[in-house]
Order: sequence, then C-alpha cells, then structure tokens
Amino acid sequence: MLRIYFLLLFFVTFLNQAFAQTFSIAGYVKDSATGETLIGAAIRIPETSIGTVTNTYGYFSLSLPNATKKVLISYIGYRSKLVSITEIKNQQLKIALSPLNLEVKEVVINADRQDKNVKSNEMSKIELSGEKIKSLPVIFGEPDVLKAITLLPGIKSGGEASTGFYVRGGGPDQNLILMDEAVVYNPSHLFGFLSVFNSDAVKNIEIIKGGIPANYGGRLSSILNVNMREGNNTQYKYSGGIGLISTRLSAEGPIEKEKSSFLVSARRTYIDILAKPFLPEEIKGNSYYFYDMNLKMNFILGDKDRIFVSGYFGRDILDYQSEVNRNVKFNFGWGNSTGTLRWNHVFSPKLFVNTSAIFNRYELFNDFDFGIGGFKLRSGLQDWNLKSDFTWFAHPKHLVKFGFNYTFHTFQPGILSGNVGTADISDEINKQFAHEGAIYFSDEWQVNHRITLNYGLRAVAFNLVGPYKQEIFDNDNQLPSGVSKEYASGESIAFYPRLEPRFSGTFVINDASSVKASFTQTYQFLHLATTSGAQFPFDLWVPSSSLIKPQLAYQYALGYFRNFQQNMYESSVELYYKPMYNQIEFRPGANLFFNQNLEGEMIFGEGLSYGAEFFVRKKAGRLNGWVGYTWSRTTRQFDELNAGQAFFYRYDRTHDLSLLLSYQFNKKWSGNFVFVYGTGNATTLPDARYAYRFGVDPNTGEPKYVFVDKYDKINSFRLPAYHRMDISATYIVKQTNKFESSWNFSIYNVYNRANPYFIYFLPDIEKNEVKAYMVYLFPIVPSIQWNFRF
Amino acid sequence: MEFQILRKLRTYFHLGLFGVSALLSITACEKEIDINLPPSKEEIVVEASINQLVSTLNYVIISKTVDYFKPDLSLNSVSGAKVYITEGKITGTDTSFNIADRQAFIDLFDTLAPGVYINPFFQGKIEKPYLLEIELEDGRKISGKTIIPKPLKLDSTSFWFEQNGKDTNAYIYLDWFDGPEQNNYRFALLNNYDSIFTGWGIADRFYTFDDERINNQKRPFVLLNPFKYGDTVHYFMAEIGRKEFLFWDSFRNAANNGGPFSTPVAVKSNISGAIGSFTGYGITYKKFILR
Repeated sequence: MLRIYFLLLFFVTFLNQAFAQTFSIAGYVKDSATGETLIGAAIRIPETSIGTVTNTYGYFSLSLPNATKKVLISYIGYRSKLVSITEIKNQQLKIALSPLNLEVKEVVINADRQDKNVKSNEMSKIELSGEKIKSLPVIFGEPDVLKAITLLPGIKSGGEASTGFYVRGGGPDQNLILMDEAVVYNPSHLFGFLSVFNSDAVKNIEIIKGGIPANYGGRLSSILNVNMREGNNTQYKYSGGIGLISTRLSAEGPIEKEKSSFLVSARRTYIDILAKPFLPEEIKGNSYYFYDMNLKMNFILGDKDRIFVSGYFGRDILDYQSEVNRNVKFNFGWGNSTGTLRWNHVFSPKLFVNTSAIFNRYELFNDFDFGIGGFKLRSGLQDWNLKSDFTWFAHPKHLVKFGFNYTFHTFQPGILSGNVGTADISDEINKQFAHEGAIYFSDEWQVNHRITLNYGLRAVAFNLVGPYKQEIFDNDNQLPSGVSKEYASGESIAFYPRLEPRFSGTFVINDASSVKASFTQTYQFLHLATTSGAQFPFDLWVPSSSLIKPQLAYQYALGYFRNFQQNMYESSVELYYKPMYNQIEFRPGANLFFNQNLEGEMIFGEGLSYGAEFFVRKKAGRLNGWVGYTWSRTTRQFDELNAGQAFFYRYDRTHDLSLLLSYQFNKKWSGNFVFVYGTGNATTLPDARYAYRFGVDPNTGEPKYVFVDKYDKINSFRLPAYHRMDISATYIVKQTNKFESSWNFSIYNVYNRANPYFIYFLPDIEKNEVKAYMVYLFPIVPSIQWNFRF
Repeated sequence: MEFQILRKLRTYFHLGLFGVSALLSITACEKEIDINLPPSKEEIVVEASINQLVSTLNYVIISKTVDYFKPDLSLNSVSGAKVYITEGKITGTDTSFNIADRQAFIDLFDTLAPGVYINPFFQGKIEKPYLLEIELEDGRKISGKTIIPKPLKLDSTSFWFEQNGKDTNAYIYLDWFDGPEQNNYRFALLNNYDSIFTGWGIADRFYTFDDERINNQKRPFVLLNPFKYGDTVHYFMAEIGRKEFLFWDSFRNAANNGGPFSTPVAVKSNISGAIGSFTGYGITYKKFILR
C-alpha cells in the first residue's frame, strides 16, 4: 500500500510541474469570529460562471484567466468579500468572512445566489447546517440530525421511535454514517428515539443518496457525512441547551490563539429522574439514561499543514432490578467510541491531501444476575482505518481525486460467561477478522461550458481471514454436525475483489437549467443482522463470508434542475432506478441472538426500487424552506418467502411529502412549520389463527388453549398513512458578541394525528371476538428548550 | 429460571425498555381499529401427544385454522377422522412399523370435547418409536413420527424459603446429569393443583430448552419465580426428540409474538399434511409441598 501511495504522489508531483505555469489561487475560507473553516463557501470571478467551492476542510484551489482582477468569496449567512488578485497572487490565502447579524440577514436576502444546484456536477446530494438542524421543530426539545434528514425527498424515516432511515429503497444498514470520517455502526440513543449526534457539536451534514462519488464506498444506498465543529480559535465560548429530557453543554476556545482550538461537548439525559413519578410501582427502582461526549482539537501547523484530533464516546445504560425478586437485576448498555486523527497537507496550491487514521468501536454489554447465578455477555465490532484522499486541481478543466482506504475489522458476535449454582457456563461465538481495502480515482472534466463529466473507478476488496473455526451445522436439526474447519491466522476464508465504476454528467441548458445523469455500482461487505426492520443495540454486523456474498446495487439516476428568480428558488426532478442483489433476510422465526449458526438462518434475494423525486427549495430570505415529494416503489424477492413472489419492502412508501417553511418575523422571533405525509408502511398481518396446547380443566370442564397466528402473504397490508404537522418558534432574548440566549418552543403533531406505531390483536374469549388495536406514540407534544452561549 | 434466559434476553430487553416506557407512559396511546383481511386458506392443525407415565396425556387433537377475525374463539375441531398410532421397532438406524400393531384413537367424548381423539388403553414405552396416521373424512392424509426418549433422572431436589418482609417466598432447585448426547427438555409446572393432568395445556408454566450450553455435565434448574409457603407444586419434566423440540421452541416464539418488534413466525411442524406436532414425552414427575 505504501508503495502505491508514493507512486501516486510522484505521478501527481510530476504532472503538477507540467501545469506549473497555470495561474491559480488556493487557500482556506474561515469564519472571522470563530476561526472555523467554512465548508462549501463559493469563490468565483464576479459576473462569470468561473468558480469553485471549498471542500470539507474549507480548502479551495481555482485556476483563473490571467486577466482576472478580483474574486468574490461568499457564503450563506456571511458578508461577501471581494478580493483583489494582485494582492494575493501566488499566495496561500486565508480569507475570513464575517457572519451577518440578524438585521442584515433580513435585508441581504440573497447574498449567496449560487447556481450550484444547476451547474455543479453533483446530484442527489443535500447539505444542511448544524444551525438549521437546531432550528427545526423537535420532540421533547431535542434537536436531531437523523430526524432532520428524513424531511428530505427520497429519505424515509423508520418511524417515530427509530433513527433508522431508508434511502431510495435501501435498508438502514445500507447507509454509511460518518462522524468526522469515523464510521458509526449504531447511530441511536434511547433505543432509536434520538441519534448519537449532539447538535451543538455538528457543523454541517451532507447526504448523498445517488451518484455516490468514487471516494466513498462500502454501502449500497447513501453516505451521511456529519462534520463536527472545530472550536473557536479566537476566544473562549461556552454554550448549551436545556431541553425536556436532556441538557447539553459545550466549551470551546483557542489553545494558541488563531493557531489551534478545542471543542468539548457533552450531554446527558435525565428522563430517568423525570419519569420516575410516572412509572408504575414495579419498575420504579430502575434507571435508564444516556450520555455522550465529543472532543475536537485543531492545530494549524503552518500554511501547509493542519492536524485535527476528534473523538466521540457515548453510552446508553439501562439498569433493572426486579421488584418481585430483589436478587434479579440486569445492567445493559451499549455505545460507540471513535477517535480520528486527520492531517491536511497542501503539497502545492493544486494538490491537497487529507490522511486520516481512525479507530472506532461499537460495544454491547449485558450483565444478568439472579442471586445464585448470573451471566455476562459482551459483543462488539471494532475497526482500525487508514485512508488518504488526494484532491488534485490538475487543470482548469480537470479536478482529479484519488486515494486509498484500508480497514481492519474485528467482529466479536458474543462472549458469554457465567454460572448457575456450581455449573460454570462459558461460550463464545467465534470472532471474525477481515481486511477491507479500496483504491479509487475520479476526474471531473469540464468538457465545455455546457458539459461536465465525472468518471471514476473504485477498486474494492474484502478478505475474511483467520484465525477462525468454521463450525458446519446440520440446518435441519439446528445442531453442530461435529465437523469444523480451522483457518490459520491470516488465511483467507472468503475473498471478494470487485470494481465499482462511477459516472455522472451534467448538461447545462442555460444559466438557469441543466440535465444531470449518474450511474453508480456499489458493493457492501458488512451486513446488519436484524429481523425487526429497525436498528437495535442487539443487532449484529456480520461480514461477507463464503456463504454471504457481498450485496450489490446499481443505481441509474436522471435529473432536471432548474433555478428561478436569479437562483432564489432551486428546483429539481430526479428519477432513479435501483436494482439490488444478494439482499439478506432471515427465515421466519430465526434466532439471531447468540447463534453460532447465524448464516444458517439467512436467506438471500433481490430488491428493486424506483421512483421520482420532486424538490423545490428557497434558500434565503425572510421566508425560506423546501417542499419535497417522492413517488416510489420498492420490492424484495426471495425464493423462500412469499412463495417466491416479489413483495413490498416494509418501508415502501408510494407517496412521501415533506414541507418545511422557516420565517424570520423580526430580529427576535423566527418560526418553522413542518408537514410530512407518507403512505403507510407495508406490514405482514396474520391471516388466520388456530388453537393449540390444549387442556381441559377436569373440575370445570373448561378447555384451555392458546391462539397461534398464521401468516401467509408478506407485507400485503398497509398501515394507515403517516402524517403530521409541527411548528416551532425561536425567541432570541439577547444576542450580543458576549452573550446569547434564546428559547425554542415546539409543538409536535399539532393536530394530534394518531400515527401508527404498531398494531396488535386481542382475542376476547368471553366476548368471542378478536379486536385490533393500533398503538401510536406521540399525540400533540409541546416542548421547550433554552439555549445559551457566552 | 433456566438458560433460556439467554434466548429471552432480547425479549426482556424489549419488554424492559422502561426508559422508553417512561416516555411512552406519558405519551403513548392506542385505539381500536377495523381491519379487513381477505379469507384465508384453511389448513388442518394436529396436536398429538404420547408418553410413558400419564395416560391422560395420550391424545390426538385435530382442528382447522380459522380466518383471523372470525368471531369464533372455540377450537375449530375436526371430527370423524380415522386416527392410528403404531408402536414400532428400531433396528440399527432404521425404524419399522407393523400395521398389525396399530392402535386406534377415537373421539370418545365427541359431544363434550369434539376433535379430541383418545385411547384409554394406550401405553407409551420408553425409547420406542411411534407412527401417527390420520385419515380425514374427505380422504386427506396426515402422518408423523416420534419417539419417547428416556426420561431424565433427578439427582437432587431442594427448596428454600426467603423472608422478604411481606410474605414467605419459596424457591425450587433441581439438578440432574445431562449426559453427552443431545438432550431436549420440555417442563410443565402446575401450582396448587391436585387433580388429573388432562392435557398439557392446563399447566401454569412451560420451559422448553436444550443442552446447548451445558452438555455432558450437571444441569441445574432454578425456579426464580417464588412460591408461597404451603404451595403444592407439580413438575412434569419431559425429554423430547430434536424435531419435537424445534416445534415447541418455534411454538413458544409464535405464541409470544406481538408488539412493535414482532415478526411473522412460522412453527416448525414435525408432521406432514398439517400444521402441528406429534410429540413423545419421556416424563419424570415430581411433587413438592412447600412446607
């Protein structure tokens, strides 16, 4: 790997020299008040279409015609800056933009009239800022990244009690969720009610649901990039928020003024304390809470080097003690920890590289004690990851990206130890190890002023290796056959080299409209073992093996993009078609828990999703927001299920509408309005029942039995449609450079819609009837949150 | 409690979401809804049980599935079937059955308990194979095989009392040696009941487990649920075959399926031509008077 790295470096340095005479400017754009870099700030020659935007690290490089006199740097919510070229030629730029205060924001309604929607070669990608996420209406006063993105077209929520999201017909495990480049395997707190992302620490997010560029891979459906803030490098600031269920606190400031900074952010829930009075007597002695911490440090080592250190640590803890038998107690917890070390290096103004070393771990622990015995159960997944991403501004018409990504995975499905009386119990589901590697290359080629092409190739390989003892199972009896195969350390068990071509193209019709198309081929080597359709702490990630082939998806997308009123309004229509192969389901009634033969419970099939997404967005002005509508169809087909017939995917949603409106009433008050509508989830209901486990009370002659449900067609029943309206208002009590204080008032589910959570049935033997009940989680829920900053 | 705790942990976990139930207890609601489902395809259901110890636990029950919302919650029994159980022989790995050894089970109390076929003279034998044959009035045939395994031999039993301030709780402890072979267990418990055991269904509690994690060693079994001083507790501890275990294990999942995390569960029948099982129980019986 190291050899390839140096070879590429040499190649780029050589070619760089070949274009050395090209006049270019490069540098960073940052916030003048905090020193934080700005992602996506626009740099362009005024009155022309020549320009670029800053990357994830706030860096840009732009080739300019020799006659260029000035460039305009702009970013939404900031005062634009016109910079003279003569002052900056051949220098590493550090451009600081000043944030607009509220009054100016109202007047300068369109400082950022970018035509990015039309002219950039990206499609199926949406960005949201941390500030925007915090302003949206929320339940229990807790802003949430994963709830916010489900307001976007093509992204569906798993439900009110789920942070799982479904992109263009893909499952929740088919989204690559990155927090400062570290993979987050389980993004949920509170059993899925909230996500692990603390909105105070989030700088911005971007979600790519199609046309995934070659620098990303490993999942079929989408990439969610959550970039954390770096911290203020000019002054110390403290901020926080107090909501109904949790409190957030952050501290940030310079380590060395304007050269380095830190940010520490933490939150903890207190529902365990608040809920106690409402809990029934038998569970009063229990507690449940979560906490998480984000730490980030950023060091500017010079014009060419920056180092970022970031980490996350979070835990959900559930303690239970039986009121009936005080000896029975269990302690259950899970959480992620991640650490990222990133190094930005500018080899030359045209060659930027980010190299990251990342560690992440998801673990689950469970201690069960019942007096004369007990168990300890542990499971987890751990990654060591090294990657380098080069951005080479090779030529005014070519933007080249290349790099590599290597991960070593360790899967620990379960270790059990314990005793019952004098009998010791210890068991372990065999650990698994895997190497996952990728190298990629892509070129964004501006063929002419109308056509831009982006072609790329990602070569990926997955190697499941020993040491491993493969138990061969007798699937009929669900017992080990007694035969096993041993693999030595490093010996290959299953090896999958694959190629992933990526393509996207833009044809600019005129200044206000364009047509874009993309094709992606993606493989996925890690799979989430779940039967519930949602994501739970117990769910295990399992690697591809000789039986479990890598999942594969092709995605074809075609879009028409049109801006109106000088880019004030952006709109788009995107069509997509996405067949998926080697999809995984489990046999009905499969036991996923602590099962050495998990593979034996799996079945494999295909999926298909297609649809049309309509999106209109107004990005600035007193009134801004968006409306998105998606029509789609998603099915799965497995030979062993539904008599081999294709069936609707659980989260198939024919119609999906989301409307978000934000309005700035005056400098004190702003408000948000959200409306969402979605076709009900497809679900499987029993079509028949039978009585079983029969007995007759000899004293009364009364029969005793239980009813068992029998299922036939899969997902043939639709739950009622989901729709909801939320409103929120933010009142700024005080906003100065030294102190900010604001209140956020939300009303969730304004018209008290009973949205289905699940349906259950109750046979009433006395009345001789079966009744169906729908459980819904949240009626109208008002909440309040206080945010401060000083 | 037994090692099925492990399997049940996930269920515990879901049921014990009191952090979430804290939220839900404040907010969650439910309402009755109407659901219209198309008529289902009718299937035959068989529950056949034989053993070597308790004659009232030898029976075959035949019924039919009913449409889910049909307002009839009685056993949808099937009468008029010809039912035979034949004791066979094991020679090496083969089992053979002689038609001359057929014993008919008849719906003797058809008016009282329709669909229940019994033979008061049937006596199951340990380690013998049995063949079940059913012919319905319309000619459809159902068949299945089982074996009555050797019952477990208890090494020790004990119970003790715990003072919890309110009352006196009793706990029961049993142990036996599991043996190197695959063992599958199904226990039924009756509390404060001193009458004839007429069908497994009148038991208060069931435990279905195998020797997955403790094989070939001493097997402890503790009942965590306390009993009261003076209770009479009856234990029917049965060894069953593997296919029969898989049926009852899947049955437990199917019968306890519900709530937001439920998934469709199909029972793993060990008979052909119908849903259900033919289970041979090698029973050990124990009675405790807790005083």
